[in-house]
Amino acid sequence: MPMLEIRDLTKRYRNGTLANDGLSLALEPGEVYGLLGPNGAGKTTLVRQVLGLLKPTSGSIRLDGQDVVANPGFARRTVGFLPQGQFDIGDVHVDELIYSVGKLRGLSSREARRRRDELIERLDLEPFRSTTMHAASGGVRRLAGFATALVAGNRLLVLDEPTNDVDPIRRQTLWHLVSEAGEAGAAVLLVTHNLAEAERFIHRLAIIDHGRILSEGSPASLRSLVTEKLRLELVLAGEVVPHPALTAEPGSVGSFLFEQSDLSFVSAWLTTLRTAGTLLDFRIGPPNLDDIYVAAVSGPGTGGVDRETALVAS
Amino acid sequence: MNPLGQYVELVNLHLRMMRNNLWFMIMVQFALCAGLILGFGYLIPNISESAALYVTTGAATQAFTTVGLVMLPQFLSESKTLGRFEYFLTLPISREAYLLSQMTVVAMVATPGVIFAVVLGAWHYGFSLSIDPLVIPAVLLIFLSLAGVGVVMAVLSPHPQLTNALTQLTIFYVVFFAPVMMPVEQLPGFLQHASVVMPPTYAADAIRGTLTGLPDTHALHSMAVLGGFALASLAVSAGVIRKRG
Repeated sequence: MPMLEIRDLTKRYRNGTLANDGLSLALEPGEVYGLLGPNGAGKTTLVRQVLGLLKPTSGSIRLDGQDVVANPGFARRTVGFLPQGQFDIGDVHVDELIYSVGKLRGLSSREARRRRDELIERLDLEPFRSTTMHAASGGVRRLAGFATALVAGNRLLVLDEPTNDVDPIRRQTLWHLVSEAGEAGAAVLLVTHNLAEAERFIHRLAIIDHGRILSEGSPASLRSLVTEKLRLELVLAGEVVPHPALTAEPGSVGSFLFEQSDLSFVSAWLTTLRTAGTLLDFRIGPPNLDDIYVAAVSGPGTGGVDRETALVAS
Repeated sequence: MNPLGQYVELVNLHLRMMRNNLWFMIMVQFALCAGLILGFGYLIPNISESAALYVTTGAATQAFTTVGLVMLPQFLSESKTLGRFEYFLTLPISREAYLLSQMTVVAMVATPGVIFAVVLGAWHYGFSLSIDPLVIPAVLLIFLSLAGVGVVMAVLSPHPQLTNALTQLTIFYVVFFAPVMMPVEQLPGFLQHASVVMPPTYAADAIRGTLTGLPDTHALHSMAVLGGFALASLAVSAGVIRKRG
């Protein structure tokens, strides 16, 4: 039985905005599931419904077989949650917050203390133990929030942008803890923009936009959407008209995708640039998750893969 | 964890969340109460004992009103803006325990100011208090009802600016236009009628009835009405929270 099963979920707000439009997805126990999409794609609306904070317009959400729409209390007992945003919890100390949430989530005092100390040690939060949440940096607040999501060993974790503002070393620890929670049997629903680093820890991902799933699959299977392509990154000394075989990546400067069959044309073009002294550096490699993401959410001709192709894969 | 345990843990957590402002807020309550009690003495020279009793008990009521109907809604409004409010709603805790814990914390902030107001007034104007043991349940009901109405204001208000504006108006109303600092007969007819549905009316009456020998108080009746306000507002706010968009 899936840990989380969402079927035909539609949420239309009172002002008419259609935030979720017939979404369906399922998470098995132990699975780390990534939810990717641009701002306003409907990710947070989806999360709020899973948590029982918002009632769907139609469709069903089942958590461990239980109907969350009818029984939102079950969702609160079952889901460990890190919200997006600042997580400013006032002048409570980092360690006090983790302990209190542990207690409120049903741990005994002794167990809450043990988990608090364990998580503080693992996330290397010892220097910030007695820092107030309000005074803590954005990264420390995220980590403390992450610890509160993990503290009670919930069977479903919903983590909204867990690594924002977190330094690279603690990020790695955070991802390892996510993996460990998965290995211990928890299902993890991860909302993130940070594809490159999450890729190693995600089993499956869905790309959503305008409230709908554009594509879903393992990182490897989604990569096959752009597998016929290569990625070129350029550092140039001046203005250059890109080779016609290249398609620029929206939102990034100097990154392009091109068909593998065009490799010889592109390398000839690069040689010309190099001779002319305009090419300072370049790198050619396989497309990454960012390319898949961009390909899926952008229209035809911008990201190399058009929306039709992306939809076929879903 | 049972709702009582949650309530205790949440009170503890909220006090810690306010630890850097707690003393400041308590001191502000002292200053407000002292200001009202001494200020009205300057405003009304040769103040009668009965007027002084009204001013003193009115200042105590004002302290409750400030924390219940002003500080608490502003505090909750801020929590909503910062996302704290919704975060707490994702925890497996009773909605009533959550709201009651917030009300308790502001009650703790108000209590020293109230005691101070009464002692200062009695000393400054030289009257004696006649303390009825019912003052303890009366104070509890005043807290719950005023803070309960404050929670309803905050929960229903769509944005913090509106909450702030409403709460500022509340202070003016309580000081100048309600039977709190003065007997109800001194107000014009329409304000007398309006006062019937306003919780500060009953809060002031309950305080006067249990702390002074002033005539025409109906402490038990007022406490019953305050209990009704407390229950109704807790039910309304918990209901609004449960409704889920």
